[in-house]
Amino acid sequence: MKIAMPDGSRKEMTVSVARIDEILKELNINPVEVVVAKNGKIVPEEETASCADELKIVRIVHGG
Amino acid sequence: MLNDLEKKRYSRQIRLFGEDGQAKLKKAGAFIAGAGGLGSVISIYMAAAGFGKIRIVDCDSVELSNLNRQVLHWSDDVGRSKARSAKDTLEGINPEIEVEALEETISKENIDQLLSGCSLIMDAMDNFSTRYILNKAALQKKIPLFHGAICGYQGQATTVIPGKTACLRCTFPRAPPVTTFPALGSTCGVIGSIQVTEAVKYVLGFGGLLENRLMLWDGLSCSMDEVACMRNPGCQDCSALIGDANYKQEMSK
Repeated sequence: MKIAMPDGSRKEMTVSVARIDEILKELNINPVEVVVAKNGKIVPEEETASCADELKIVRIVHGG
Repeated sequence: MLNDLEKKRYSRQIRLFGEDGQAKLKKAGAFIAGAGGLGSVISIYMAAAGFGKIRIVDCDSVELSNLNRQVLHWSDDVGRSKARSAKDTLEGINPEIEVEALEETISKENIDQLLSGCSLIMDAMDNFSTRYILNKAALQKKIPLFHGAICGYQGQATTVIPGKTACLRCTFPRAPPVTTFPALGSTCGVIGSIQVTEAVKYVLGFGGLLENRLMLWDGLSCSMDEVACMRNPGCQDCSALIGDANYKQEMSK
């Protein structure tokens, strides 16, 4: 599974299927601070992703 | 109808969208939530573009540390109410429009009153708890919410059209932790300008909006990206509207 990290770096993860929240935990990312897009679409953290999927982890900004 | 001075003031825009388009902007009432970094850019460009009525709300006073990005306020304004400072600046930019500036804290209790007579909500807040109040109000009143947020070199924007798109809560179900965020004025410039461009296109009725799209700006790499947003059928803010016949009809289009 290819993962685009919030800082712009890229990671490859070898899992067959995993929930998004488990993936975030593995990456040591606080789920409250990000949204995750699977294959270009934002998905809830209960959603699963498989090795063929591409994830983009976006850090939510809140300032104005 | 536009008077002669307005025709001259807006002549470059009239080349873009005609006098009819300019008259549509003149009729539009914009509510701008916040007179900080984003609110500065949004209000200045909306005033200059000729949105007929601008109501800008902020409860704070101008501080020296605001001036790197809050271009509504100048050094002499330090210590003044941001609302008053905003009114002076915006009326100086365009005396042809009506500017209301209110020293208020936006709350569930006063949002209906604050939005009275406004047809657009511009999100220039610095926290998600107030953004969720704006989101609910937009859904209830069926008026668009133009979301923007920044942190350092990064920014995001999306446009919420009630009955048509994911709402803000669908995209951001939980508020991120509130922190003192680093801020670069030019990032506010990028995101605030996008929000105003969206509002202009919405009022004029043409162009493609950031509907169901979250646009992401990264000033460090100077790149823009976007991800798709989808309605969450279980969303705590907008799912209650599913029972509304008009909403169902709009969603089926």
